[in-house]
Amino acid sequence: MAHRIGRRKNVKKGFQFTLMVVGASGLGRTTFINTLCDADVVPKRESDEPDMAHVEEGIKIKPYTVELDEDGVKISLTVVDTPGFGDMIDNEYCFQEILGYLERQYDDILSEESRIKRNPRFRDNRVHALLYFITPTGHSLREIDIELMKRLSPRINVIPVIGKADTFTPFELAEFKKRVMEDIEHHNIPIYNFPFDPEEDDEETVEENSELRSLLPFAMIGCEEEIMVNGRKVRGRQYPWGIVEVDNTQHCDFAKLRFALLSSHLQDLKEITHDYLYENYRTEKLSRSAENLSD
Amino acid sequence: MSTPEVGAGIGIANLPNQRHKIVAKRGASLTLMVCGESGLGKTTFINTLFTTTIKTPKNYKRRYNKSAEKTVEIEIIRAELEEKQFNVKLSVVDTPGFGDYTNNRDSWMPIIDFIDDQHESYMRQEQQPKRHELSDMRVHCCLYFIRPTGHTLKPLDIEVMKRLGTRVNLIPVIAKADTMTPTDLHKFKKRILEVIAAQNIQCYSFPLESDDDASTRRNMSIMAAMPFSIIGSTEDVLTADGRTVKGRQYSWGVAEVENEDHCDFKKLRQLLIRTHMLDLISSTEESHYENYRHAQMETRKIGEAK
Repeated sequence: MAHRIGRRKNVKKGFQFTLMVVGASGLGRTTFINTLCDADVVPKRESDEPDMAHVEEGIKIKPYTVELDEDGVKISLTVVDTPGFGDMIDNEYCFQEILGYLERQYDDILSEESRIKRNPRFRDNRVHALLYFITPTGHSLREIDIELMKRLSPRINVIPVIGKADTFTPFELAEFKKRVMEDIEHHNIPIYNFPFDPEEDDEETVEENSELRSLLPFAMIGCEEEIMVNGRKVRGRQYPWGIVEVDNTQHCDFAKLRFALLSSHLQDLKEITHDYLYENYRTEKLSRSAENLSD
Repeated sequence: MSTPEVGAGIGIANLPNQRHKIVAKRGASLTLMVCGESGLGKTTFINTLFTTTIKTPKNYKRRYNKSAEKTVEIEIIRAELEEKQFNVKLSVVDTPGFGDYTNNRDSWMPIIDFIDDQHESYMRQEQQPKRHELSDMRVHCCLYFIRPTGHTLKPLDIEVMKRLGTRVNLIPVIAKADTMTPTDLHKFKKRILEVIAAQNIQCYSFPLESDDDASTRRNMSIMAAMPFSIIGSTEDVLTADGRTVKGRQYSWGVAEVENEDHCDFKKLRQLLIRTHMLDLISSTEESHYENYRHAQMETRKIGEAK
C-alpha cells in the first residue's frame, strides 16, 4: 500500500523517474520511447553511409528528459537509450558499458551522501527500471539475452519485453512468452515481476500484480504515426492485410506496461532501487574498501 | 564475317529438347544452403517452399541439454522430391548457431569451410582414375536470411555475405517480411541494395534476356524484387473473404504466402525451382567451382593435399 500513500503526498510536486531501454537495433526501441512519451524524443536514426555499414560503432548511452503530464500528475521522465547494443560482431563490451553507467550513478549518490555539506539541488540519476527488448525469434532466449539480464539484475529492476511483437500470431505469442519465462526461471534470472504478498496485500493489489505478472514478457508494438481506422484516428501500423493498433490491449501490452511504469508501479520501482539495489551496491562497495584498508 | 545460316536446318535447334530429355531422365541434384540467425523462419521457409516437412521444427524440451559449446554446426537434410516423373535429389544445408552468440567473431568459418570443402572434394574426385560416380555436394545456392530490422545490414551480415558471395550463388532474402509495412519494406530493400553495392558483395544474377518477351519481363520482375521479402507458413488459414490459403493468421488480418502484394515468395520459388534451378546448378559448376579450382591450381600441384 505504501506506494499509493506516497503518491497522494507527492502529487503536487510531481515525480522523477528514470528508465533505461536496452535491445538490439531494429526491435522498436526508439519507436517505443517516442510512443511512450507521445513525442519525438529520440531523433530518427540517421542513415549511415552504405560504405560505412561494416564499421562496428559500439554502444552509446544517451539520456533524454521529458516532462509528462499523467492525468494531472507531473512526471519528469528520463529515458536512457542504448543504441548499438548487440550490433557488433563481438558484444562482450556492451555489458560492461551499461553496468558501468548504472554503477556510476550509484557512486554519485554514495559520495553525495558522505558529504558533510550536502548539495540541496543534487540530481539523483539512478536508473529505476530497465526494459530489455527480446528479439522475437519464436524460439527461446538467446545467449545474449540471458547474459544481459543476469549481469544487470543485481543493479537494476529488469523488465523483459518482446520487441516487434506483431511478428507473432496470438498462439505463437503465448508460446513464446511461456518459453521465455521458463528460460528465466531455469537460469535463475531475478527480474522485476510485480511482487505481491497474497496474505498482506489487499485483493485489488493482488489481482493487479498477478495480471501484470502473467503478461510478462510484455508484447510491444511501437508506432509514432496516426492512421484512420473506421473514422477514428489511432496510433498504428498499416499492413496490406490489416491494421495493428498500439493502444489496443488485444493487439499488444503497451498500454498496460505504460500505466504500470508511469502510474501504478512507479513508486515501487523507485523504492526497490533505493532500499534494496542501491543498498546492496553500497554494502558491497564499502566492504570492499574496508577489506582493502585492512590488507 | 557473318555466320552462314544453315539452310533447311540440320537439327541443331533440337538440342535444347535433347538436353531436356537427358536431364529429365537423370533428374537433378540440388544443394541449397540456408544461412542466418536463428528464429528467422529458415526451417519454415524450406518446408513452405517444398510443401512438405523437409525439416522438423525444433524440440524445445531439449534446449537445456545443449552443451556449453558455442559452435556453429552444419546440418544436412536430404529429401527426394518427385513431380510429374521428374526427380530432384534435394539437400538442404542448415547452419544452426550462426549469429546466436554474444561473440560471433569467426562464426562464419565452419560455413565457408563447408562450401570450400565441397569444391575440394569434387576436385579430388575428378582427378581420380575412376570418376564416374562422383558424390557432389557442391552448394548451388545460398539463401542468406536478413533480420527485418528496417535499418541496414549489420557488420556480421556484411562479413559473411562478402565471403559467401565469392564462393556460391548468394541470394539475400528479408525474413519474416510480415513485420514490415510496405513503405518500410521498400526503404529497407533500397538500403540493403545500396550497402551490397558499396560493400562489393556479389549476389546471384542471371541473364535477363530470353527467347520470348514474357520470359524476359518475368525475369526482370524477379530481379527487381531482390532482396526477396518472404513470409513462410505451412498452415492453411481462412481469409476475411472466405479463401483458404497458406498464411499467418493475426488478430488484425491474414498475411498470405502466395499473395504477391504481401511478399515475394512466389517470385523466389519461381527462381529457385521453376525457371533457374538448372542455371543455379550450372553456374556453380562452371563459375564458382572453376574459380576455386583455378585458385587452387595456381598454388598446388595435382594430387597435393590442401
